[in-house]
Amino acid sequence: MHSLTVNNLTFKYQPDAPIFENVNIALPLNQFNVLVGPSGSGKSTLLKIIAGLYPQFGGNLISGNITIDGINLSTNQHQIAMLFQNPNQQFTMDTPRNELIFVLENLQVKPSEMNARITESLNFVDCTELADQNFNTLSGGEKQKVALAVIVAMDSSVILLDEPFASIDPGARNHLLAKLTELRDKHHKTIILAEHDLHGYQEIADQVFQINPGDSNIVALTQDAKKKLFSQFKPITMTTRIKLPSEYDQPVITLDHFHLTQQNKTLLEQSKFTFFKNKITLITGENGIGKSTLFNAIIKLTPYQGKILVSGHDVKSMKQKKLTRQVGLVFQEAENQFMAITVAEEIELSKKHRLTTYFTDQLIKDSLSRLNLSDRLDQVVYSLSEGQKKKLQILLMLISGQQILLLDEPLRGLDIDSLAAVLVLIKKASLAQQQTVIMISHQLTDLAKWIDYHVLFAQQQLSYQEVL
Amino acid sequence: MNQRARWHVRDIILLALIGILFGVIFLGTNFIYDGLTVALTPVGLAPLANDISMGLWIMAGPLAGFMLRIPGAGFLGEFLAAVGEMFFGGQWGASTMISGAIQGVAIELGFTLTGYRFYNWITLLLTTLTSTVGTFAWDMFRNGYAAFSPKMLFLLLVVRFISIFFFGGILVKLITSLLERSHVLHR
Amino acid sequence: MNASLKLLLVLLISLEVSFTQSLSANLILITGSLFYLMIHKTSFRSLLLLGVVPFLPALGLFVTIYYFSPDHDLHFAWVLFTRMYVYVTAGASFTLTSTPLDLALSLEQNWHLPSKFAYGTLAAFNMLPKIKSAIVTIRTAGLMRGIVLSWWSPQLYFKAILVALNWSENLAQAMISHGFVEDQPRTFYRQIKITIIDYSMLIVIILAIQLPIWLLP
Ligand SMILES: Nc1ncnc2c1ncn2[C@@H]1O[C@H](COP(=O)(O)OP(=O)(O)OP(=O)(O)O)[C@@H](O)[C@H]1O
Ligand SMILES: Nc1ncnc2c1ncn2[C@@H]1O[C@H](COP(=O)(O)OP(=O)(O)OP(=O)(O)O)[C@@H](O)[C@H]1O
Ligand SMILES: [Mg+2]
Ligand SMILES: [Mg+2]
Repeated sequence: MHSLTVNNLTFKYQPDAPIFENVNIALPLNQFNVLVGPSGSGKSTLLKIIAGLYPQFGGNLISGNITIDGINLSTNQHQIAMLFQNPNQQFTMDTPRNELIFVLENLQVKPSEMNARITESLNFVDCTELADQNFNTLSGGEKQKVALAVIVAMDSSVILLDEPFASIDPGARNHLLAKLTELRDKHHKTIILAEHDLHGYQEIADQVFQINPGDSNIVALTQDAKKKLFSQFKPITMTTRIKLPSEYDQPVITLDHFHLTQQNKTLLEQSKFTFFKNKITLITGENGIGKSTLFNAIIKLTPYQGKILVSGHDVKSMKQKKLTRQVGLVFQEAENQFMAITVAEEIELSKKHRLTTYFTDQLIKDSLSRLNLSDRLDQVVYSLSEGQKKKLQILLMLISGQQILLLDEPLRGLDIDSLAAVLVLIKKASLAQQQTVIMISHQLTDLAKWIDYHVLFAQQQLSYQEVL
Repeated sequence: MNQRARWHVRDIILLALIGILFGVIFLGTNFIYDGLTVALTPVGLAPLANDISMGLWIMAGPLAGFMLRIPGAGFLGEFLAAVGEMFFGGQWGASTMISGAIQGVAIELGFTLTGYRFYNWITLLLTTLTSTVGTFAWDMFRNGYAAFSPKMLFLLLVVRFISIFFFGGILVKLITSLLERSHVLHR
Repeated sequence: MNASLKLLLVLLISLEVSFTQSLSANLILITGSLFYLMIHKTSFRSLLLLGVVPFLPALGLFVTIYYFSPDHDLHFAWVLFTRMYVYVTAGASFTLTSTPLDLALSLEQNWHLPSKFAYGTLAAFNMLPKIKSAIVTIRTAGLMRGIVLSWWSPQLYFKAILVALNWSENLAQAMISHGFVEDQPRTFYRQIKITIIDYSMLIVIILAIQLPIWLLP
């Protein structure tokens, strides 16, 4: 069978700890290959090696090469297209159309053929209306769609996708998955996709490859093993009942005649809404509905009309310095949170000005080990894997200990074990430090048992829901 | 830090990002400048505002030169920052580009004098000197410094030197030391 | 007009008025620039802003020269005052009517600037709105951890540069994965040409302003 083959691959970032050691796998061409493995096991690393970006941009290739049907990859460029895990900094130009032109120029496509290819690829992922919108005004999900359009336009035979749906709402996700299947079936593309959340892949995935961090190896799963893996991700048909707020709850954040806009588009308009003290509240809603913008407004990063009261005080009349000591925000982009260089330094920094003493040194140590970060203390934070960044970021802000903690997609890109570890950590810390937690998430698996209230953000309104 | 003779696309992006970052900072500096001008005009020392702010305006060049260590980085960093400022609608309009080019050349000269061989305090002292002299000569024309008394000119020159040495020397050194320690420049 | 030639024109004009002292030439140039901006349908608000932005530094120069220089030279004071407006209106004639993309394309195609410079810089420029918000975000992120970052703190710059380093890495990888190869030929969707008209306009305008600059006060 035709295949993309990884031959004898040994790859390291640090001298003593190889990510891959003598890996030999054959990924069949024209099929849908899924790559799984815990956070930090090397999924992104492998994809970037295949794409030819590593070792040029990082790490050391000790031995090995990648071939397609026995032919070395580096000799035939443009065969491989990759969609990065991080939706930001993926584009050179300002708008999708210009980016597509740039890409086609790079591939030396004749100018006369370009318009047709641009229209076709935008149509394929249903984002024609985004063609001339500036990237800086697109939400995370929209950017990933455009990135996919670029890949379609490149028409490469191999398509690498690194957790393409981590920040995409469930509806759009199903739609895009169907499109990927179409790429395989109608256009005979080879797809290699890294993913944690395997909902919906059971029928689509031809092959599953698993990275075992223990022995730095990658194995192709047998039919049985595959079945077992997918059974952890039963379709979410059951809805769980969630309580509604009661009259005994005390308000902690109140929106009063609140009006939030972005570029003349109304995101939220509500005469009164209240979040309650010492509760964990979950906010759900489609991509681009305005969830992150709402959080930004609460900590005075975005202008708004009306009033926001935090513990009875008007945010507008509060100095940001004082406000940020009461309200902490875990940014959607983990890198925004970091101030120092290494993991250890970041933790020191959080300890220095923390507001409670709940996180003792022992507890921090335990938490790090539960989050699987213990052996990363001296690593530069920017070189952590996306999942590791997310976990560290959450820990840092929990240590900080603000009365109110806003978490913007804290569960994005986490594997099943990390997910549980993070949720336990949040629950325990918020109880002990008497914190109010408000959290945004697209990832809803098993979340019901961790939260007190569920708020749906839809049609420019926030409303408490009885189900999740 | 490593010595690379050739420009790669990631160096160029980094350089441009530093330039733009400082373009934004330059815009902020314009407000400081304006405030100082307003405060100093009644006592006849308005030009001093220019010399006090000069250090902040000059920072991009030495920083880019120190970080990238490729000939031309000092000039390009400063020049792109100026282009950035102009595109953001800075109050100096098109002359920003000319000032940027002149500041860039002056800064680059400091690096050239070392033969691009060493990057330490001496380098920063040299860039401070060359940029003080270079920018001062330019202001003789643009801001009409030629009309001032020698005493005033001397005061302006000294203040400018101190400002450039503080921002383009000490602060740049602090920042690059932090970067050096972080090993993020070893790519 | 071709973007790079327009930029050249603006630069030449700014350079020349920096070394000469003709008040009338300055006024003619300001009027000309404003006229050019108006036929390009610049909004009234932008035009108004052009009047406000350089006012303080211009006034500062005026007061210094007129009241505090040894000669109290009123003419020279006015020259400096209007010169600021020449810089800003001429600059705006370029920045408000051309985009960085126009300039990059022209530099790449007409002046053979290596594409890595054209697109590397462009990629960075397109991050601009993000950079602005990043600086605010950095300050806020610091505050939430109890660190106050001010204008003069190396930490602020340090962090900003870390972000720049990280972005440059990501963007470079993105460019390469989108098929960009340094020093490899590319096709051009938009062919940018410099026409005889462009050159003539450059020369005619430059020549035309020599008259007032050298002959009128
Ligand atoms: N430049 C680097 N220096 C040192 N270690 C690194 C570097 N880059 C990555 N690593 C480490 O290599 C491991 C693999 O990272 P990678 O990003 O490939 O993981 P991943 O499987 O994609 O994880 P995730 O699911 O969280 O995205 C991680 O433990 C990471 O911390
Ligand atoms: N800086 C900006 N300028 C203009 N529009 C913006 C800007 N930032 C966001 N928007 C727009 O505002 C809307 C809300 O964005 P926001 O990031 O709050 O969405 P979200 O609900 O958090 O989405 P996601 O689930 O994808 O993170 C989107 O339509 C987005 O395109
Ligand atoms: Mg990854
Ligand atoms: Mg969001």
